[in-house]
Amino acid sequence: MLAEVLIQVVVVVGILLPIAIALFVGRERLIRTRSEWRTRLKTAAPTIAVLLIVLLINRFARQRAPRLSREIGFHLTASFYNIEGEFILLFQSIATPETTAYFSSIYVYGYVFLVVFPVLAYFTLPDTRMFRRLLTAYALNYVIGLVLYIFVIAYGPRNVMPHEVAETMLFENNPQYQYLTREVNSNSNVFPSLHTSISATVATFAAITRSTFPKWFPVAVVLAASVAISTMFLGIHWGIDVVAGMLLAALCVVLSDRLVGRWSVTELLGERFEDRLPWLDRSE
Amino acid sequence: MNWNPSPPDDGVSRRSFLAAGVTGATLATSGCIDRVQSVVDQGGDEQFSLSITTVPADADRQNIRIARRLEARLEKVGIDVSLDMRSQSELLEAVLLEHDFDCYVGRHPADYDPDFLYEALHSTYANEAGWQNPFGFTSMSFDTHLEHQRRTDGDERKRHVEDVLSGLAQAKPFDPICIPEEHRVARANRFDGWDEGHFATRHGYLGLEPAAGVDRLHALVTDGRITRNLNPLSATFRNRGTTIDLLYDSLGTEHEGDVQPWLAESWDIAETTAESDSETADEGTTRTATVRLREGCHFHDGEPVTAADVAFTYTFLNDTSWGRAPVRSPAPRYRGRADVIETVSVDGDYEVMITASGGREAVKRAFTVPVLPKHVWLELIDQYATGDDFTAPQGRWAVVSGNNIPPIGSGPFQFDSRSEDESLVLKRFENHFTLRDAVDLPEPTVDEVQFSVDPSSNSSITRIEDGGADVTATMLSPHSLPLVPDSSDLEELRSPSRTFYHLGFNVRNAPFSNPHVRRAITQLIDKEGIVTDVFYGNATPVATPVSDEWVPERLQWSGDDPVTPFAGTDGDLNVEAAKMAFERAGFRYDDNGRLLGGY
Repeated sequence: MLAEVLIQVVVVVGILLPIAIALFVGRERLIRTRSEWRTRLKTAAPTIAVLLIVLLINRFARQRAPRLSREIGFHLTASFYNIEGEFILLFQSIATPETTAYFSSIYVYGYVFLVVFPVLAYFTLPDTRMFRRLLTAYALNYVIGLVLYIFVIAYGPRNVMPHEVAETMLFENNPQYQYLTREVNSNSNVFPSLHTSISATVATFAAITRSTFPKWFPVAVVLAASVAISTMFLGIHWGIDVVAGMLLAALCVVLSDRLVGRWSVTELLGERFEDRLPWLDRSE
Repeated sequence: MNWNPSPPDDGVSRRSFLAAGVTGATLATSGCIDRVQSVVDQGGDEQFSLSITTVPADADRQNIRIARRLEARLEKVGIDVSLDMRSQSELLEAVLLEHDFDCYVGRHPADYDPDFLYEALHSTYANEAGWQNPFGFTSMSFDTHLEHQRRTDGDERKRHVEDVLSGLAQAKPFDPICIPEEHRVARANRFDGWDEGHFATRHGYLGLEPAAGVDRLHALVTDGRITRNLNPLSATFRNRGTTIDLLYDSLGTEHEGDVQPWLAESWDIAETTAESDSETADEGTTRTATVRLREGCHFHDGEPVTAADVAFTYTFLNDTSWGRAPVRSPAPRYRGRADVIETVSVDGDYEVMITASGGREAVKRAFTVPVLPKHVWLELIDQYATGDDFTAPQGRWAVVSGNNIPPIGSGPFQFDSRSEDESLVLKRFENHFTLRDAVDLPEPTVDEVQFSVDPSSNSSITRIEDGGADVTATMLSPHSLPLVPDSSDLEELRSPSRTFYHLGFNVRNAPFSNPHVRRAITQLIDKEGIVTDVFYGNATPVATPVSDEWVPERLQWSGDDPVTPFAGTDGDLNVEAAKMAFERAGFRYDDNGRLLGGY
């Protein structure tokens, strides 16, 4: 089941990516990338390593985090529900079989595309700064998101108002996607919406680079907005999670600007290493 | 045996006297009550507020829907409500172990026999942690009837059960809402005999007839708890204990309402007139049971199953600390069943003499607890009961709650492997007595049973349809039933249900200690409407938590609850009438229509 869904996602995104590259990136950049990819990778290697480490931590933490979360987390379902009540049911008013199909595919395929495409697009730029900033922002989203998941135990609207969102609920109509989502996250991790925060991060970067990728900018904004709405439309997230996701995105974009290019790796590994990590000496 | 339990029936009058002293009063409870929102500010101008604890829709969609209907109506009558969402094990922890709740909506595992009401409601358990009396309910007259139904058989017992049910319908420590139909779906071509046993018992998995070449039963569950913890005594990780029934044997096995010898080859239950040294003299009788075990049975680790293990089991359930803790720590599960047994003496390797303070039915019910290997559990006790200041908090200490207890029983299947939230694999135990030629009992017919955790009822149905598994071990959610395709490849299984959905109150705390408050709240529950809207008709509304044959005429469902009818018509709440019920209970409203918390 999981394999089938994964293959579907890979196929769909695999078709979308070349089209998008042709449309938004263009031949010239690709040709140049062909000759420069080694040096670009080398420059970006530390950032890529950081992101991979974060993703690995995330992977392992998912097994430990629920237990830790039960120990120290706060149960906030009741608070979210008290504050916003049935707000997300507003989106049910636009529910038709077509919008349901649209938002379901946006949530699964559109989101994966939205995450992967800019990584490729920014890699085609001669200056790797944007590429590094994007990866840094992704890493920050995951790290901060994980910490918030540990502290906040909350179930999404579909778990509180199952009947009201049944018509549009992703898993109701396409139960197979649950094999995929349960691999990624537990049902008590809804605050913040990482779908929203990563999408908003991508859209913000698209705005920053709109002179470079003019056609990508509107597409990214529409996709990101659709992803944010889909999380509520499909009954997965509360409005509060989406707002928190947007704030998290803003924070990550700002932090990526401050952090990227701040330290050179050679320097970090050299003389400043001991100053930064003085406890290394004393730990023995 | 050096076991001297406090007998469950040490004189009705004495216990009743004690119980009377605390009736209606708040029991002194330990544990924090920070989360509980009930207002106990008597006479204050604070709004009456309460929290309803329940599980998310992923775990059980009906519970949260019932809770939200109740929430809407409580708000209509001026009560401030919050919904407290917990995972299944956390809900049980709050309700059964910590007693940290106002009220909860849940599904009770119940049992095949109404004797489960004894542990559910008897005062003696009001301060205990575990499945016994989570409500903290105490009542002298209940205790009397509960004890009598336990001690008697036949028509006399039925009368006492009816008295308990009538009292329950009046006093409402909990309010049974409906009994759901149990539907499951199975593939038709790999096995025959799906209908032979109930899938919530071991009989569902035994005696199946596999088609040629089929050696593995693949069952789907939507509740991942069995993949995380297999402790047979855990209060929070067990529901009906089906897996435990496969891993462990019990003296007797229940099938279609009757208990037949299982690990016991035979038993003989005789009525004896009480001896002069018995404390039950005022009741006249106890029972003596002679139980003969099957010879040559083994635990999964190869050790023989003997009378000493049986004796150990009943003693241990009564005090899991084995006398090492300053206070006894009775098991949080099976406690009520085992409590009927007073002494167990070993007579050779294969015979035990049991004296019990109950009737035949109660004694036979006690025979359904899992027989635990003495050598394994004594070692565990040695390992965990250490230190001078050792205590064994009931239901929580490592031996009865930990997930690292070796799952060694003598049952038809033995543990093979588990992967958290993914699967649990059991292998056939080749030495099981049911595999002997001379034994005519349903046996394990497959090499392996795999339970896989599937995300939902809907996805389980699709998976069975696509041939990805053989049967849904978890009962299907009513909303999924229309998705079951009409196909000759599939078989829809329907079994009688004993579980029931209910609203439970924590009667230890004001204002839920007041039965009038509880009744006023239960009158907001439109059981008929819940069955129609939430269960799509796949449930039976009830006023009592037991199956039909025990329900007296006066408590039969007649379109509405015969004792606490819904305060409204056709699902529409009559707000004024409902508010009046709260006023009659001694509460008042402010000018904004808010119900005030004080008396």
